Amino acid sequence: MTDPGRGARWDATWRMVLRQEANVSAAVGLLVLIIWVLSGGGFWPRWVWFGLAVPLALQAGVRRGLRAPWGQRLLTVHGAVSVVLAFTALAIWVLAGASRAFWPVWPALGLGIAFALHGWIRHGLSAGRERALLDRVDVLTRTRSGAVDVQAAELRRIERDLHDGAQSRMVSVAMNLGLAEELLDKDPQLVAELVAESRSSMLTALDELRTVMRGIQPPVLADRGLAGAVRALALHLAVPVTVAGEIPGQAPPPVESAVYFAVSECLANVVKHSGAQRADVDLGYRDGVLWVVVSDDGDGGASVTAGTGLRGVALRLEVFDGTIALTSPAGGPTVVRMEVPCELSSPRT
Amino acid sequence: MRVVIAEDLTLLRDGLARILRAHDIEVAAAVGDPVALATALEEEHPDIAIVDVRMPPTFTNEGLVAAIGARNRRPGMPVLVLSQYVEPLYARELMLSGAAGVGYLLKDRVADVGAFVDAVRRVAGGGTVLDPDVVTSMLSHRDRGQAMARLTAREREVLAFIAEGRSNAAIAAKLVVTPKAVDKHINSIFMKLDLPLDADDNRRVLAVLRYLQAD
Repeated sequence: MTDPGRGARWDATWRMVLRQEANVSAAVGLLVLIIWVLSGGGFWPRWVWFGLAVPLALQAGVRRGLRAPWGQRLLTVHGAVSVVLAFTALAIWVLAGASRAFWPVWPALGLGIAFALHGWIRHGLSAGRERALLDRVDVLTRTRSGAVDVQAAELRRIERDLHDGAQSRMVSVAMNLGLAEELLDKDPQLVAELVAESRSSMLTALDELRTVMRGIQPPVLADRGLAGAVRALALHLAVPVTVAGEIPGQAPPPVESAVYFAVSECLANVVKHSGAQRADVDLGYRDGVLWVVVSDDGDGGASVTAGTGLRGVALRLEVFDGTIALTSPAGGPTVVRMEVPCELSSPRT
Repeated sequence: MRVVIAEDLTLLRDGLARILRAHDIEVAAAVGDPVALATALEEEHPDIAIVDVRMPPTFTNEGLVAAIGARNRRPGMPVLVLSQYVEPLYARELMLSGAAGVGYLLKDRVADVGAFVDAVRRVAGGGTVLDPDVVTSMLSHRDRGQAMARLTAREREVLAFIAEGRSNAAIAAKLVVTPKAVDKHINSIFMKLDLPLDADDNRRVLAVLRYLQAD
């Protein structure tokens, strides 16, 4: 859209042109009238007036048309011009003597058909666009509620992991030390055991906290980017995983995070359910789409239905208009392809 | 004294059992879910049940529900409910089933082993024990305004101890004053709050709790 200042200047220019033209037309018309009165001939000035009036009428029609709301302007201007032209034909017929054959009906018909055609096409176009917009609203509503579900489930998981893990260990340590305090003089043997157990519990609690933190925001993702983080992930797994491909830049952090956890979920499935001997992760970026393919030579039978981790992955990717496609016939192999449209910013330094 | 423990986290279940046994309290059964708890209560008839609020299958408030259910089946059955976070709402619901022989404590309190064992004995004996955090929130949450403003700071302290379920002697020890001084404070409190005075410790606690909970 042009800036409003420019629009206002255009408006002012148009108005000035119209005013000037009206002034000039009036002046010339008056002059012609004076000449006619002085020369005393037939009523010829009517043609001059007609010639001056037509551009004025056309301009007025177009200006009226331009005032219509955006999107309907072309149609309204077309309509206004058609009406002016039709009346022009009528005026010519009248001025030429109103002959018996009412020929203006032909141009009027032609103009009418052209206008109707234009209107029909516009309606078709706008209906199509409206449908596209409604579909988009549906997609956005669904993915938004999906995103909310995924986030709520994640928060519940984190709360439960903290409650059952790190927090309960610390309660246990407090209990042990409390008892140890009491029995310091009475049963040193038991106290030694309690203290040793407390130390080991605290170390486990730290481990559990680290796991929770990794589940929220893996440090290596911020450090090495998506490809690097996936490589790091592949190192720790029970099944040998080969990671290939590069992403020439940095995807937006929420997209990186979603894709990282998606790959993590797929690889976890490979290790837990597939019985595979090896797996491959290929990633890349092409034509504005970040893509990742996770494949394994296991037993297959995976699905994106409710209850599996892949459902959560699909919901997370959908938020970014991403897709997940799964081929997993019984007997294997399984191939999961995920795509997310996104912009890359310049690579990390 | 015989106890049934219901706690789904093995680490804590064993820890509780160890503490109780170290104080000559017999652990008749240690279970990890509400169904096993109901069975254990039926079979063992313990003097008190120590129950975690959160248990399978939903890990929300199964323990609380089981405790209230047990008290409905056997009115007055002493139950001490433990939780890793304090929710005054749960304290309320628990006390709807009668406030005698009811306790609600944060698991952290177990670290003060002596006080914990004391609380277990008190609840088993029909007393009431409320976590100080719950009492604090009860005292501060309700804008008692004028009534509470009439109490002196010392009297508010004593009121808090009564709400936690402590006896006169215990309060005197905690505040390092004579039992007679505590008596005077209590008389003054009850008069200012328009509460009926009662020699029975437990009925006193109930009166205060009712006052604090009143909407």
